[in-house]
Amino acid sequence: MTLLATRGLTKRFGGLCAVDGVDLELGDREILGVIGPNGAGKTTLFSLIAGSIRPTSGEIVLDGHRVTGLPAHRSVRAGIVRTHQIVRPFGTLTVFENVLVAAMHLSRTATGHARDRAAEVLEFVGLSDRQGHYPATLTLAGRKRLELARALSTGPRVLLLDEVVAGINPTEALALTALIRRVRDERGISVIMTEHVMPAVMSLSDRIFVLDRGKPIARGTPQEVVANPLVVTAYLGTSAGEGAGP
Amino acid sequence: MIVRSPSWIWRRVDLALLAGCVVLAVLPVVLEPSAYTHNQLTFLFLTSAGALAWNWLGGFVGQVSFGHAAMFGVGGFVAARLMLSLHLPAPLGWLGGAVVAGGFALGAHPLLRLRGPYFSIATIGVGEASRLGFTYWESFTGGSSGLSLAIDGDLQYQLYWWALALAAAVAAASLAIRRSSLGLKLLAIKADADAAADVGISATFYQDLICVLSGAVVGLTGGLYASYQSFIEPTDMFGFERSITFVLMAVIGGVGTPLGALLGAVVFVLVRIYLLASYPDLYLGLYGVLLILIILFEPLGLTGLARRGLRWVRRAPAPPGAAS
Amino acid sequence: MPRLVDMLLSAVLLAGLYATMAYGLGLIYGVLRVVNLAHGGVLMAGAYLGWYLHERFGLDPYLSLPVVLVASFVLGVGLYQGLVRWLPRGAAGGPASLLLLFGVWLVLRNIAYLVFTGNDRTILTAYSSSSVAILGSHVSLNRLVVLGIAVAIAVLLHLGLRRTQVGRAIRAVAQNADSCTLVGIDTHRIYTLSFGIGTALAGVAGVLLATIFPFSPSSGSSELLKAFVVVVLGGLGSITGVALAALIVATVEVFAIFVLPAYLTTAVGFVLLVAILVLRPGGLFGHRVLA
Repeated sequence: MTLLATRGLTKRFGGLCAVDGVDLELGDREILGVIGPNGAGKTTLFSLIAGSIRPTSGEIVLDGHRVTGLPAHRSVRAGIVRTHQIVRPFGTLTVFENVLVAAMHLSRTATGHARDRAAEVLEFVGLSDRQGHYPATLTLAGRKRLELARALSTGPRVLLLDEVVAGINPTEALALTALIRRVRDERGISVIMTEHVMPAVMSLSDRIFVLDRGKPIARGTPQEVVANPLVVTAYLGTSAGEGAGP
Repeated sequence: MIVRSPSWIWRRVDLALLAGCVVLAVLPVVLEPSAYTHNQLTFLFLTSAGALAWNWLGGFVGQVSFGHAAMFGVGGFVAARLMLSLHLPAPLGWLGGAVVAGGFALGAHPLLRLRGPYFSIATIGVGEASRLGFTYWESFTGGSSGLSLAIDGDLQYQLYWWALALAAAVAAASLAIRRSSLGLKLLAIKADADAAADVGISATFYQDLICVLSGAVVGLTGGLYASYQSFIEPTDMFGFERSITFVLMAVIGGVGTPLGALLGAVVFVLVRIYLLASYPDLYLGLYGVLLILIILFEPLGLTGLARRGLRWVRRAPAPPGAAS
Repeated sequence: MPRLVDMLLSAVLLAGLYATMAYGLGLIYGVLRVVNLAHGGVLMAGAYLGWYLHERFGLDPYLSLPVVLVASFVLGVGLYQGLVRWLPRGAAGGPASLLLLFGVWLVLRNIAYLVFTGNDRTILTAYSSSSVAILGSHVSLNRLVVLGIAVAIAVLLHLGLRRTQVGRAIRAVAQNADSCTLVGIDTHRIYTLSFGIGTALAGVAGVLLATIFPFSPSSGSSELLKAFVVVVLGGLGSITGVALAALIVATVEVFAIFVLPAYLTTAVGFVLLVAILVLRPGGLFGHRVLA
């Protein structure tokens, strides 16, 4: 069953076509990995789906409803939420408040329901003991968990993770990867994630979608994609060295 | 309730506010102060209300307006006109002024999309354009001659309690907003408006909301001011100096703190009384110096100093990352 | 309604002044990411300095420019070293920097009021009412000289920023201050210099202003507004952009004067600002002001 689909999604910035006619499908309880060399358009694709920017053309459909062009805060109400590549916690709010304010959009007040959900989500990501502290005192891994917690507390159906594992040490990355798997398994949320850290993407994703210069060039299971000659060319054909940013 | 300071402080603040209101309410009856003091207090109350309302937009949301005189003037002149031409009783006139001022503030909607300094400079333009426009609109404002209201001794005396009630209501509202989910959302918007949108909070909606509320209340104080002075004219009501005072009061007391503007208003009015008596030509410069000192040494003004004092007494460290 | 040629000529002459008013503001914002709310105050101070030198020593305002330039530069450096450098960088410095510089403006205003009183002044020289015939139009000599000086300043700025080492360093810092420290550029020195130059340009613009328009201690807000409109419209990092933007703003204003009643002409600047910021936030040459 398709939860989220894009049809012919395109975004042009002046003369540059960042995302070009992307048809993508995300199933229920599925983790879809989106990979591609630098400049492939992964973050732009995310921004389009999440509503941060408007598409030039194309459609986005969530569970049968058209959500194309909805601004970010409406997308969240519809059930699509994103995290940011460079984490953006609310610096003047405590960890708990960060998560609480995200939980409030469904409940409208700060009463029990939202607070309970915030507490539960913090427990889930393992930040309960830091809830009274401010984000500046957390490590990067901690802030990434906070970002994840904040997104989860909006009660989404689709979670867009933008390079969430990048930049943290392997131990933490492993823990975060396990957490993402639990997001899918225990909370029934579908995930689209972009990554440069290959082990994470390969081990987590049910399916992979490859972008190159805004166009989809391959899709399938991780094994299929890795063996695909087009994908190999796309990566090796560009400058060496990964993880340098989209 | 969301608490950001320890709850014992909130209870003290609530109590202090309540006690203060009661004391001030019975003061004129018990102590029988001179008419001068009575009027100065009235002026202080309505000034505080305006400063607190400014702080909703400038402090809670973080959009510093240098043009709030526009709403003050609109509120004042609409109220005066309603009283003069339609012979409405003062409270209705004030209310009318507030409503129109709120609507006027809604017109600032396109400006609210601007960030930081761009918004602030645009508000300078709003203030100036309003002043010029309304000065020219002589049939409405009386041009440079202004409008004179019939002097009503009873009303002027009762204005004390009207203004006190307004100030108390605005102070209570400030506390309530700050402690509510609305307050938390505003803080999130102030911290990072885009990230706030990414968790479902519509920055535009809340900015509009606060702008209208802030404008309406400031307009209300404009109406009360009209009755207080019994005479208003555009340069005073809409002038840049007037806009500056809102900013100054909030900054002196602590921009962004729930009741800082109240403290700031008290200090501002007291200093002004003294300055006008002794150094009438220095007050702008003095306020400038005050602004500079506050920004450099204690951005949260008097409230910041008070908090530092409290922490020193309790030997508690400052929370990293906390602002207001 | 005067001839089209007259109006266009007026616009060009005015544009020179507006461009000069805008460079200082744009430079400081481009390099330090600070909106210099004291800009209007410095303009006013420059005007008074030029006026004073003329009143007291009979110094021709255009000849006094070097003096005002140096004095304003010193003021700018002083402001930066004493005050601005202590501000936190980045977004956190936003309202704080506005308020700080606003305080400076208030102080400047008060000083001017104390020293010179609140009366309107203007610099009147022997040739103030002279005019030159150009294209069948009578053009004020002052305005022509101001245009000439404006062009000279633009050229000097352009050359300075492109050809000199310091100029290149300034542009580098404006683009990416953090990387500059990596290549050994003393960013602190560049910030000081930029603030000084920006203030100097404001002071000079003030003198030019004073030869054409009356001014008083409360001058500065509409000039700040106009300069801001020009900077936003022209985009950052582009002297040609600023010049072009100044021309557009001046043209709109000149035409507006003949179409609208007098009181609205200052409002024109404001309306233009709102329109640009809302409709075309990138200006003519880039740099978004909406996040």
